[in-house]
Amino acid sequence: MEKRNSNKREVPLTALKAGESGIVKIIRQGQMERGLTRHGRKRHGHLIHGITKDSGFEKRLMDMGLTPGTKVTVVKSAPFHGPFEVLVRGSRLALGRGMAERIFVEKEQ
Amino acid sequence: MNKKKLLIALAGNANVGKSVIFNHLTGLHQHIGNWPGKTVERAEGTLHFKGYTIDIVDLPGIYSLSTYSLEELVSRKYIAVERPDVVINVVDASVLERNLFFTLQLMELETPMVIALNQMDIAKSKGVQVDIKKLEKLLGVPVTPTVAVKGVGIAKLLETAIETVEKNKAKKQSQVTYGEEVETKIGKLMEKMKNVELVYPQRYVAIKLLEGDEEIEREIQRVAPEIVVAAKKLADEIECIHGHCCSTVMTSERYEAAGCIARASQQLVSPMKPTKVERLHNLTTHRVTGYLTLAFSLLLIFYSIFTFGDYTSGLLSDLLYGLEPFFVSVFGSGVVGDLVWGGVMEGLIAGITIVLPYIIPFYIILYFLENSGYLSRIAFLMDNIMHKIGLHGKAFIPMMLGFGCNVPACLGCRIMETQRERLLAAFVTTLVPCAATTVIILGLVGDYLGIHWALALYIFNIAIIFVLGRLAFKVVPGEPTALIMEMHDYRWPHMKTILKQTWFRVAEFIKIAFPLIIVGSLALKLADVLGWLETVASVFSPITVVWLGLPAITGITLIFGVLRKELSLVMLAALLGTSNFALVLTPVQMIVFTLVAMLYIPCIATIAALVRDFGWKKSLFITVFEIAFAILIGGIAMRLLTLFM
Repeated sequence: MEKRNSNKREVPLTALKAGESGIVKIIRQGQMERGLTRHGRKRHGHLIHGITKDSGFEKRLMDMGLTPGTKVTVVKSAPFHGPFEVLVRGSRLALGRGMAERIFVEKEQ
Repeated sequence: MNKKKLLIALAGNANVGKSVIFNHLTGLHQHIGNWPGKTVERAEGTLHFKGYTIDIVDLPGIYSLSTYSLEELVSRKYIAVERPDVVINVVDASVLERNLFFTLQLMELETPMVIALNQMDIAKSKGVQVDIKKLEKLLGVPVTPTVAVKGVGIAKLLETAIETVEKNKAKKQSQVTYGEEVETKIGKLMEKMKNVELVYPQRYVAIKLLEGDEEIEREIQRVAPEIVVAAKKLADEIECIHGHCCSTVMTSERYEAAGCIARASQQLVSPMKPTKVERLHNLTTHRVTGYLTLAFSLLLIFYSIFTFGDYTSGLLSDLLYGLEPFFVSVFGSGVVGDLVWGGVMEGLIAGITIVLPYIIPFYIILYFLENSGYLSRIAFLMDNIMHKIGLHGKAFIPMMLGFGCNVPACLGCRIMETQRERLLAAFVTTLVPCAATTVIILGLVGDYLGIHWALALYIFNIAIIFVLGRLAFKVVPGEPTALIMEMHDYRWPHMKTILKQTWFRVAEFIKIAFPLIIVGSLALKLADVLGWLETVASVFSPITVVWLGLPAITGITLIFGVLRKELSLVMLAALLGTSNFALVLTPVQMIVFTLVAMLYIPCIATIAALVRDFGWKKSLFITVFEIAFAILIGGIAMRLLTLFM
């Protein structure tokens, strides 16, 4: 699986500095499901829903345009661990830090 | 179906000018209510055009047609089941790609539709030029450019919509195709559905099954379980190929298509350079100037609302109390006259002198901030602080509202995404000192003990909010959610829309609050006339006198405070026979009384608002908890304060 050959450049969105861009690779689930493999768990949507609402938020992020392969640019983050301001597909989004930590991107050089 | 009657639905992302178009179309013929059994707002209106009577339903602003939120569920059910004659999809020309993502989902529902390509002016100022003809051709849907805030293109839009209905009766809505792999799977599933009776279009069902949509799965499971099984198998295949789950793949496919169409039909004329709105955005979200602007704006807003409210409120109450001699001359000054004036009329006056002067300007400013885009910046700046009590930035907005009045604040909690967060937000909101509480704090503690004590009480209250908010967040089951919010470009809002939104909110407030205020006021007057108040006072004296160390009479006034908090102070003056509280209350008593009044209960109108959105059980729980909590804190404060004062 592609997870194997993921390299060091795959970092959480929160690792990007203001003005830097990255390509969305994957949105990680919340802690509760981290042990499960990615493949096979999502197919039974109800399983995830039974545990936590997280997958709903993953869906929401995608609906807002953060699908794998999308370029995302960090504009800035609010101080004291505040949310991130990002540009995605021509729209400006505010993402809570907890959310941004789960978005893994490949940093653009 | 009556040929001359039409049903049109407005659908689109949030903040694309949908409600402005709705207002242009329907004028004052609007009705705002809730979707049956849901706390999702439903706006309807009627208009007459070219011999048609047209009903227009304004669907909530959403980004997708999945089952993420109640709003999305309601919208897609409405389009799929009620089958409006035509859907007007309002699209923001300046964020074309994301908007088209939603358009593609609407098209999957195979509903007749037209597109209003709105905010052409903003797109232009951003250097985006859209080729309308090309967009029409690529989507197979008629597109009308509009600038809703200026009323441009609205008539043309309506004509196009009617034309579409007249022409397209039999024609199937054209579809945009996705990647080949996905399309083959969709085709295979549709093949299997050939002989199955479905409410929804086949292609839509096939896509939703591949996405693993629970609602559609459940429905198909009933009629043709083998199709669900087949869909799961096909979804697995897609997952294996792409390495992402199938719903992610479908979302990507849609965005891929939307991106292609957007790129093909739009042209970036001028290179991106910081415009005025860009600079304003940077200023208002900056780590230093952003907070300064926020603090300044809030101070200005509250100062002007309270100044305006205070002045107008005084004027109105002078005016209305001027009616007293007239009422006395009609009803006499006996028991009946007392009940009519002291009960019904004083309740009504109380309502009017609060609603008009404070709530109306508050709503106007709130909608101005929302429609212009500043509210989302406030949520951005306050997100980290709100996280301390387990909520995200958007919850700051109802809390801010709460300083004006708890009633609209509780109703405003609907902006939160999940029911759990709505409840948590409403709970902390009821603890926010509203305008009436401020009257007590300033009128008693502020006047007699000095402004620093009043300020200390405020700070204490905010501390309480954080402690209780954090506690509630731990106690109420469920996961915290993070902020995902669009910050659209700043724009000058459409004033008429703001005024209409304000008007509907005020009407809602009057409907909820006035009956209760008047009935409650009448009941208390009745108790007064019958001489029951003394009894009530002595019944409560173990709490008021023994535990809180207050005069027994406060038991009565605090009950009055349930109607409207500041009444507890007004009544106190009346019952103690003096408005110089220094003569009858010790400093400690003043602080304890204010503390209790501040925390003890959301007023009756707030309780009604809570009941409306959360039901009796939860509202009662919040109410009882807050009364008990206020009494507890009051008693502790009394004992601690007597040590020092």
